[in-house]
Amino acid sequence: MWRLFDNRRLLSLFLGVALVWSLASVDWGSAGVHSGGGGTLREFVLAAFPPELSPDFLRVGLAAAWQTATFAVAAITIAVVVGLPLGALATGQVVSSSSRGRALAVGARLFLAVIRSVHELVWAVLFVAAFGFSSLAAILAIAIPYAGILGRIYGERLADVPDEPLRALRASGASPVAVLAYGRIPIALPDLLSYTFYRFECTIRAAAIMSFVGIRGLGFEIQLSLQELLFSQVWTLMLFLVGLVVLVDLWSSKVRRSLAA
Amino acid sequence: MIRHRETTRNYQRQRQPLTFARASAYGFLLLAAVSWGYILLGTESGVGDLVSAQTWSDAGDFFGRLLGLGSGVQPAYFQGDQWVEKGKLAYDTLAMSVLAIGIAGIGAFLTFLPGARNVSNGGLGGSPSRAGLAVYCLVRWVFTLTRAVPELVWAMVIIFFLSPGILPGALALALHNYGVLGKLASEVVEDIDPAPARALRASGAGGFQMLLYGILPQALPQFITYLLYRWEVVIRTTVVVGFVGATGLGREFRLSLSFFHYTEVGLIILWYLVLVIGVDLICAWLRRLAR
Repeated sequence: MWRLFDNRRLLSLFLGVALVWSLASVDWGSAGVHSGGGGTLREFVLAAFPPELSPDFLRVGLAAAWQTATFAVAAITIAVVVGLPLGALATGQVVSSSSRGRALAVGARLFLAVIRSVHELVWAVLFVAAFGFSSLAAILAIAIPYAGILGRIYGERLADVPDEPLRALRASGASPVAVLAYGRIPIALPDLLSYTFYRFECTIRAAAIMSFVGIRGLGFEIQLSLQELLFSQVWTLMLFLVGLVVLVDLWSSKVRRSLAA
Repeated sequence: MIRHRETTRNYQRQRQPLTFARASAYGFLLLAAVSWGYILLGTESGVGDLVSAQTWSDAGDFFGRLLGLGSGVQPAYFQGDQWVEKGKLAYDTLAMSVLAIGIAGIGAFLTFLPGARNVSNGGLGGSPSRAGLAVYCLVRWVFTLTRAVPELVWAMVIIFFLSPGILPGALALALHNYGVLGKLASEVVEDIDPAPARALRASGAGGFQMLLYGILPQALPQFITYLLYRWEVVIRTTVVVGFVGATGLGREFRLSLSFFHYTEVGLIILWYLVLVIGVDLICAWLRRLAR
């Protein structure tokens, strides 16, 4: 039956109206390229051909990339260690009593939703204001929202595991935790891994922007080069970011292929 | 008996090969150990501060002040005009996030086709061409570059050219999300069932008809799902881009913090949470519509 507002139409209408409203909120009178902006834009784009490739600067970029990578690795390890048990709790399947399991699941999901709702840089600014500047503050700031998002996705993937193999485990007397460890996690592993790799890629960007609270790394160097208007250096540093992201991508796809084989 | 033992041994040998996945696990553990070592020893880690009582009482004071404890002045929570003022900033922030995801979505929608390998190499019918391959490589490269650079860095670059306001922040968010959405959408097209498109091509459909009837019906719902998912991410990031883009809640957050107007910071965080939770709820509703 044809209806004026079926779901798809309503969706398109909503998206269209939202876009028009946002366009209307821009103050077009003062918006746009500011004086001299056009020239700077051209300068910025041309600076990419070629980027700064002197050995000295490449060494700076490499050191910065290493620093950013270490922060990303540190943050994702905490996020996984915290997110996995919370995600398991969120499935509601870790205790044998179903009512207690459901209560735990609701609690875990709520907690995950709260910690992932605040952006890592907001956490970072607050932590630095509260605890003072330190690398741990930045790493925790990244790890908190990432634990939230990893926990949510882990919970969903672990809950979606087909029930037949789990039933076989339960029939042989496995406890809920054993079902989780020998059933759910191994079966969901490829999915869990590929999502974790994706989030690892995101922590690289998160670690880079921790320059905003004074953490060294690629973002820090980009800020320095921007301040001195050395755009070809900015491009080099951006290419280092691309390099890190591509490396993680490649690693992820090779691991997935290895698991599938 | 002997045979049984042999099978067991074979079985164990089969289970233990050093696959790439296993090597990666060891490799990652090593990387984690080295990274933590570097951070704890080579940077100002702040581990020492964690055991000092002074740090914790200072931190307690800070979070107490955000809530309006012991400041003497009337907290912003009890001033109606403060709610309205920060609400207006939240409204701007929301508009910025919608504009960002709108630009990113339209941009990705216009370019995701040549970014799909099965479109450019003729897997969906049509003939592979060197030009198609070149465009494929170029589009994929642009996706990777825009995606690899975080929104905040794009924002720091863009304020060199654009006047402050909603637009530069929205463009910065849009650039990064364009890369993300473009990559995701291209991969959706690479995974679609090629049969309808090939059948259309074989019965003489043109490129546009093939797109309209062979590709979009399969790819569009997934694209919308990704768009909504990215909007949830964007609303969280819009505040941060406001730090540099000089608009909305982000700018006010930085200003209030540097003027030590703690309860205003608290109020801004409250509005921020309203935005985040509101957008999450709207997206959940829209996803139900898309299904």
